[in-house]
Amino acid sequence: MRKIITSLFPVLLLLITTNSALAQQRVIQGTVIDASSQKPLAGVNVQITGQRQSAVTSTDGTYRVTTDLSNGTLEFSYIGYETARIPLSSTNFDIGLNIASKDLGEVVVVAYGTSRKDNITGSISTINNKQIENRQVSSISKALEGQVPGLQSVSASGQPGTDATIRIRGIGSINASAAPLYVVDGSPYAGDINALNPNDIQSISVLKDAAASVLYGSRGANGVIIITTKNGRSGEKTAINLNFTQGATNRAVRDYDQVSTDDYFKLYWQALRNKNVANGLTPENAARNASATIVTDLGINPYGAAFPQPIGTDGQLVAGATPLWNDNWSDVLQRTGSRTQGDLSFSGGTDKNTYFISGGYLNDQGIAIESSFKRYNVRANIDAKVRSWLNTGISIAGSSTQQKYPQSEDSNTANIINFTRLVPSFYPYYKRKPDGSYELDENNEKIYDFGAYRPSAAIPRNNLAASLPLDKNDINRENLALRTYLEGVITENLKFRSTYSVDYINSNTHYYTNPSVGGGASYLGSVSKSNVRTVAQTWNNILTYDKQIGDHHINILGGQEYYDFNSANISGSRERFVLPGLYEPVAASQLNSFTGSSSNYRLLSFLGRAEYGYANRYLLSASLRTDGSSRFAPETRWGTFWSVGGSWKLAEEPFIKNSNIFNQLTLRASYGGQGNDNLGTYFAYQGLYTIANSLGQGGTLTSRLPTPELKWETNLNFNAGLDVAILKNRLAFSVEFFNRQSKDLLFTMPMALSTGYSGYDANIGSMKNTGIDVDIRTIPIRKGDFRWNLDLNFSHYRNKITELPTKENITSGNKLLRVGGSIYDFNIPEWAGVNPENGNPQWYLADANGNKTDQKTSEYGKAGLFIQGSSIPDLVGGINNTITYKGFDFSALLSFSIGGKVLDNDYIQLMHNGSNIGRAWSKEILNHWTPENTITDVPRLTTDNLNWTSASSRFLYSATYARLKNINIGYTLPEQTSNRIGIRKLRVFALAENVLTFYGHQGMDPEQTINGATYFRYPAIRTVSGGIQLAF
Amino acid sequence: MYNKIRNISLILTTILLLGSCKDVLDTEPTTAIPESEIYKNTANIQTVINGTWRYLNDTYFTFANPGYSAFMRTSDAMGNDVAVTTKYGYRDPYAFTELYNPAAYRVRSFWTLLYKVIDNANNVIAKVDAAEGTQESKDILKGQAKTLRAFAYLNLGSFYQFSYLKDKKALVAPIYTEPSTTSTKGNPRATLEELYNLVISDLSDASTLLASYNRPAAEKYKINKPVAQGLLARAYLQTGAWDLAAKAAEAASAGFPLMTTAAYQEGFNDLQNTEWIWGHLQTNEQSTASYTFHYLDVSSEGSYYYSFMADPFFKELFDQNDIRYKLFEWDGETGREGFLRYKKFKFKPNLIGDIVYMRSAEMLLIQAESFAREGKTDEAISALNKLRSARNATLYTTTQNKDLLSEILIERRKELWGEGFALSDIIRNQKSVERKAYIDNQGSPIKVTVTTPTGATKIVNGQGHRVIKFPDGTNFTANSRYYLFAIPQEEGQQNPNL
Repeated sequence: MRKIITSLFPVLLLLITTNSALAQQRVIQGTVIDASSQKPLAGVNVQITGQRQSAVTSTDGTYRVTTDLSNGTLEFSYIGYETARIPLSSTNFDIGLNIASKDLGEVVVVAYGTSRKDNITGSISTINNKQIENRQVSSISKALEGQVPGLQSVSASGQPGTDATIRIRGIGSINASAAPLYVVDGSPYAGDINALNPNDIQSISVLKDAAASVLYGSRGANGVIIITTKNGRSGEKTAINLNFTQGATNRAVRDYDQVSTDDYFKLYWQALRNKNVANGLTPENAARNASATIVTDLGINPYGAAFPQPIGTDGQLVAGATPLWNDNWSDVLQRTGSRTQGDLSFSGGTDKNTYFISGGYLNDQGIAIESSFKRYNVRANIDAKVRSWLNTGISIAGSSTQQKYPQSEDSNTANIINFTRLVPSFYPYYKRKPDGSYELDENNEKIYDFGAYRPSAAIPRNNLAASLPLDKNDINRENLALRTYLEGVITENLKFRSTYSVDYINSNTHYYTNPSVGGGASYLGSVSKSNVRTVAQTWNNILTYDKQIGDHHINILGGQEYYDFNSANISGSRERFVLPGLYEPVAASQLNSFTGSSSNYRLLSFLGRAEYGYANRYLLSASLRTDGSSRFAPETRWGTFWSVGGSWKLAEEPFIKNSNIFNQLTLRASYGGQGNDNLGTYFAYQGLYTIANSLGQGGTLTSRLPTPELKWETNLNFNAGLDVAILKNRLAFSVEFFNRQSKDLLFTMPMALSTGYSGYDANIGSMKNTGIDVDIRTIPIRKGDFRWNLDLNFSHYRNKITELPTKENITSGNKLLRVGGSIYDFNIPEWAGVNPENGNPQWYLADANGNKTDQKTSEYGKAGLFIQGSSIPDLVGGINNTITYKGFDFSALLSFSIGGKVLDNDYIQLMHNGSNIGRAWSKEILNHWTPENTITDVPRLTTDNLNWTSASSRFLYSATYARLKNINIGYTLPEQTSNRIGIRKLRVFALAENVLTFYGHQGMDPEQTINGATYFRYPAIRTVSGGIQLAF
Repeated sequence: MYNKIRNISLILTTILLLGSCKDVLDTEPTTAIPESEIYKNTANIQTVINGTWRYLNDTYFTFANPGYSAFMRTSDAMGNDVAVTTKYGYRDPYAFTELYNPAAYRVRSFWTLLYKVIDNANNVIAKVDAAEGTQESKDILKGQAKTLRAFAYLNLGSFYQFSYLKDKKALVAPIYTEPSTTSTKGNPRATLEELYNLVISDLSDASTLLASYNRPAAEKYKINKPVAQGLLARAYLQTGAWDLAAKAAEAASAGFPLMTTAAYQEGFNDLQNTEWIWGHLQTNEQSTASYTFHYLDVSSEGSYYYSFMADPFFKELFDQNDIRYKLFEWDGETGREGFLRYKKFKFKPNLIGDIVYMRSAEMLLIQAESFAREGKTDEAISALNKLRSARNATLYTTTQNKDLLSEILIERRKELWGEGFALSDIIRNQKSVERKAYIDNQGSPIKVTVTTPTGATKIVNGQGHRVIKFPDGTNFTANSRYYLFAIPQEEGQQNPNL
C-alpha cells in the first residue's frame, strides 16, 4: 500500500523524512495570562514549532505538552493576541500575551487553511467578531463598509434583509460579475448572505490579491471574502452567552422637500396659462381658461366648494382660500419601525471534542409599512478527535427568514417609497367632503381614498395605506449550510483533509393582491407563488505537508475540488378569488400562468500551493489551479490560474532588529492570474432559441448567436505592500499598491439593432484597476485601564479601460466605454442652462466629430453626448475609534466616500415643468423661468414635455458623503459584582447605526449603486438600540 | 500505521478516480433550445413562426409599449381624432415630443421589435428548404415567414419616411434578407422603392405559397392568403398602384362579411368577429397585448388609463343615425368630467381583449379610395356606400356636392378610429395633422352636459385637444419631420453603413 502512495504522490513522498530516532520525552508546562489584565487566558494554542505536538490552555490558563526535543521553540497563538515564543531551552514557560495591535502576528484564515498574518505573502485584511457583533445590520455584507482598505461597499437599498454590493480593488469586469466570492468555513458559499447570523461569526478574511485568492481559480478574480464561524475551545468550561438588543428605526436622511399646496396651485396655473398662450389664446383668455380648468385637471379642489376657482386670473390665490387639509402621505406609509435581536450560544470542549451551539432571532422592521425582515437561526459546530490520526467535524447552520418586501425600487406605481414622493399632500388619504371634513362609513370610520380622480402622474386608483396591509409581498427562505470534514494525520507532517459541503436554499415567494380594495378589485384579486430550490455541493480533497527543517520551513498543499450547483424553480399565478380573506392559489378561479425551469453549473478543479520560508525572514509562495467549467464549450472550458508571491521581514534582520525601532517591517509582493467565469449565463457557447410558446402551440425565438470561442476573463494581479509597526506596535501601518489587469473581458460585441441582435458575447477588451490601500492603526493612549485605538483606512483606485472590441467607443446606457476612460463615465448631454430669452432648457451641441461646441439646442434629441465625470469615488475609507476605560467601552465608525457622481433620476420626477399633471413638485421648481426671473436653471412652466428632465449634467450630483455608520457605548459590571449574582459577565450598551450623514444634495440618500444610478430605492435606515449582554 | 495509510490511500484513490469524470461538465439549458435542433424539420420550424408572432405581440418593452399594439396606438395618438389625456402612455407621442427623438426608449423598442421579427423570418426563409418535411408544409412556413417579414418592412415604409408618392428615392431603413450572424455588419438604408419592391415581392410569393393553406377558423391570428393579400393591398395603396390595391383588397376580404350593427357595439375585442381578417388572440395566460385596452377602453371599470378620448369635433363628422354615433358619451366621472368617450373598444370581462389587425371594412375603404383615385367613381361610391349602409349611415350621393375622395378619407377616420391608421394615413396622403381646441369663437371652453355617477346632470367644460401645435410652437404642416419615427441612436452608433 505504501506503493500506492508513492505512485500517487512521489513529490510529496520525497519530502517525508523518516521518523527521527526516539529521544527522551519531557513534559513542559506553564501558564498563559493576558499581559495587561494579568488574567489567565483559556484556549491559547501552544505548539512546538514544526512539530505536531500541541496543547490548548485550560480555563485557568495552564497547559501541558510533551516533547522529545531539547531545542526548538514553543509558540503561543491566540486570535486577537500577538503570537509569542519561548525557546525550549528556557526554564520558565509562563508567559503573558499582548493584545495584538489589530492583526500583527494574528492567526488568520486563508484559502484552504490558516496562516499567521505575518507569514502571508499576499494581501489579506481581516475583521474580527468584535467589529461585527455590535452592528445593527441584518446582512453581514453591510457591516464591511469602512472597515477594510480596498473594499468598496455600497448599501443601495435600506429594505431590511437586503445585501450590500461589494467591490474589492476596483471593478474587475464590465459585463460579467464583479462581485467577490464568499467562502464560509472552508467551502464556497452559495447560500444567502443575510441568512448568516453576524453573532456566529468569528472572523472575516478579505483576500485581495492573486497570491491570496488564486486557489479559488476561476471564481477568485474579484476577490474572496472568507467567513469563519465560531467554535468552542478544548478544555474550556461551557460558556453561555446571551445577547439582547431592542431598538427603533427611522429614515437616515429626509426625503426631497416639496412645494406647498398653495405654491403647487399657483405654479400649475402658470403652466396651464403658458400652454394656452402657446396654443394661440390671448393672455386674458389664457389666464381665464387656466383658472377655469385647474381644478378639473388636478381632479380635486383642496380649497373646498366655497372656492370653485381657487386661483384667480391674476395667478394668485383667491382671497380667503386656504387648503382644508394637508395629507403628507409619508404619515401613513412610513413609520418608526422596531428592531429586536436576541442570541443565545453555548460553547465549550474537552481535549477530544469542541462545540459551539447557537440560536438567534431577529426582527427588523423597516421604515415603510409592511416591510420587515425576520430571521431564526440555529448553528452547531462540532469537532472531534476520533483517533489519534483522525479528526472529523461537522457544522450545520439552518435559518429561516421571512421578509416582507413591498415593491421598494423601480418606477412601478406600487413602489411604496416612491408613492410618498409622487403624490402631493393635497390628495387626501381619507375621503373628504367638499368642506374638508372626513366622509364616514356606516360604522363612523374614515374611508380610504383611492383617488380615481387623480391624474396618472399622481398614481390614481391606488392607496397603499389601504391595500398593502391586505396584500402579501412575502419572501420566505430556508437556508441550510452544512460543512463536514474528515482529516487524516498520515504522518506528523502530512495531513489529508476531505471536505464535503452543501448549501441549500428553499425560497418561496407569495405575492397576493387583495380582491376587496385597490387595483385588484376589478379582477377580484390575484396571487402568484414561486418556489426556487438551489443546492450547491462542494467536495474537496486536500493534502498538506508542513515541515520545519532547521531554518527552512516548507508547506505544500495539493488537491482537487468538485462543485455542483443546481437551481430549479416553479412559479404560477391565478386571479379571481371566490371570497376575500383567502390567500392561496387554490382559492382563485382563473389560472394565468404556470412555468418552471432548472439549470446546472459544475466546476472541476485541481489545485496546489507551495510555500517556503527561510529563517522566518524570507517567504516565497507559488500556487496553481486548473478549472474546468460547464459554462463553456468543451474546447475552451479548461483554464489554468497561478500566482507567485514573496515577502521579506526586514524587522527580523539582525541589523534592524538590533536598532529596536521596528516591531514590524515587512515588504511583500505578488503576481498572478485569476479567472472570472461568472458571465451571467450558464450556457455561454451555443446558438440558442429561447422558448416562446404562443397560444397553446410551441414557440421559439432567436436569443443568442453561437460563440464557441468564449472563455474566462482573466485578471493579472500585481500587489506590493509594506507593513510597518513602531513604538511597541502603537503605530502600525500597511501600504499596498495594486495593479489589476483584467483581460479577455466579456463584451457584448455590439451589433446594429437592425440585425435583430444588440450584440454577441466575445472575450475582447481589457481594463486596469490601479490603486493604493492604506491601513493605519494607532493606539494613541494605552495607560493603565485607559486604552484608545484609532484606526484609519482608505483606498483609492483608478479604473481604466485599455482595450475595447471595436474602434468606436461603446455606449452602455448613459455611460461611454472608451480606451483611457473608466467603466462608469457618464456620457450624457451637457446642460447649457435655461435660455434667458424664452425659458427653454438648453444643452450643448456637438460638432461632426462629437466634440462639444458653444452652440446650444433646446431640442434634447439633438444635444451632443459628452463625458461628464465618473461615478467612481476618488477615495473611500473609514475611521474607527475604540476607547475602553475600566468597565466602559466606546466605539464609533465613520465611513466616507469622496468624489464620484450620481445621476439623480429620483429627483427628476419632482422636477417636471408642468407636463406631469398632479405629480408632486420639488421646492427647486419655485425658481422656474419667468420673463422677470430669466437667470435660472429651471425652465419655464408649461404642460408640454420640454424633455428637460432627460438625463443631463443638470441632474448629476456629487456623490461625496460621510456617514457615521455606527456608535456603540457599553458598560461592563465589575466581575466581582456580577459574580455575586451568578453572572460571569454583564454588559449593558447602546448602539446606533447610520447615525449621521453628511452629504450635499438634499433628499437623495448618498449611498447609491456603484454605477451612480438611483432607482427609486428604499433609503438607508437609522437604528438606535439598547441592549444587554450576559455570560454565565 | 499501516492500516491508517491503507485507509487513507483507499479514500484518495477513489476520489481521484471520481475526479476524472469530465462528462459532468456538459450541461444543457432548459429555457432555450440549441439552434441545431430547430431547423431539423418543419414541425420544429413552425415553432419559430409561433414564437415570432408571440414576440411581435406579447413583448413588454414598457407598459406603454406592449408589443405591436403600441405601434397602432402611437399612430392614432399622433393623428387628428384622439384627444389623448395627460395619463401615462401616449401623451408624448400625442404632443409630438417623443418619436422624433432618437434617444427615446419607445423609438428603440419599435425598431427592435420590427427587426427581430425580420431576422427570425429570414432564418425560416433561408433554412426551411433544407429541413425534413413535406413540400406543402415548407411552402406554408415560407409563405408565413415572408408575410411576417413584409409586414415589418411595410411598417418601416409607413412610419420612417414620407410618402412613397412624395419621393420614392428617399432613404428609409436597412433591408436584410439573410439571417444575421456574428459577422453581419449593419446594412445601409434602402430607398422606399427598394423597400416596397421587397414587400410586394414577398407578399406576392406568400399569396402563392399559402394558396393551399386552410387556416383553422379559431386561429385567425395565423397568416393565410387573405392576410397576405390584405397587406399587399396596403402596400399597393402606399405606392399608388390603385388598380392592384383594389384587386388585392377585394381578394383579401372574400369570406369576411361586414359585421352586424349589434356586433359593432361589442367592444372590438373578439377575433371571431366576422369581418376580422387578421388579429391577435388573447388568453388569460398570454395577455400582454391586451394592455393596450387600458388606453383604448374608456368605459370599463377595470380599464386603468382611459386616455384615448375622442376629439369632440370628431363626433360632428357622424350623422345621428350612424350606429357608430351611439358610441359617443360625455364622461361624467370625477376627474374625467367633460371628456368625450368613444366606446368602441372594451375589455372582455376578464380584462383581456383580442387585437384587431385587419378587417374587411378597411379593405372596402382601400377599394373605394383606389377606385376614386383611378377615377372609377361609380365603383368608389358603391364600395363606400356598402360600408355606410352596414353602419346605418347616410349614403353618399353625387348630389351632396361633396368631394368623393375626401369623404372616403373621412370615412377611413370614422371607421378605423383607434386601429392604427391615423398617422400613417396622414403621412401617406401628405396631409397635415388637424386639431383645434374645444373652445368657442371667444376662446371660452364649450360647455357640455354630463351625467355624474349619482345620476345627476351637470354642465361642465368640454375637453378636447390639448396640443394643437408642434413642440417648437409652429403650426401643424404636411410632411413635417415631427411625423416620422426616428431611427434609434444605437443604430446610428453601431451601424457604420447607415
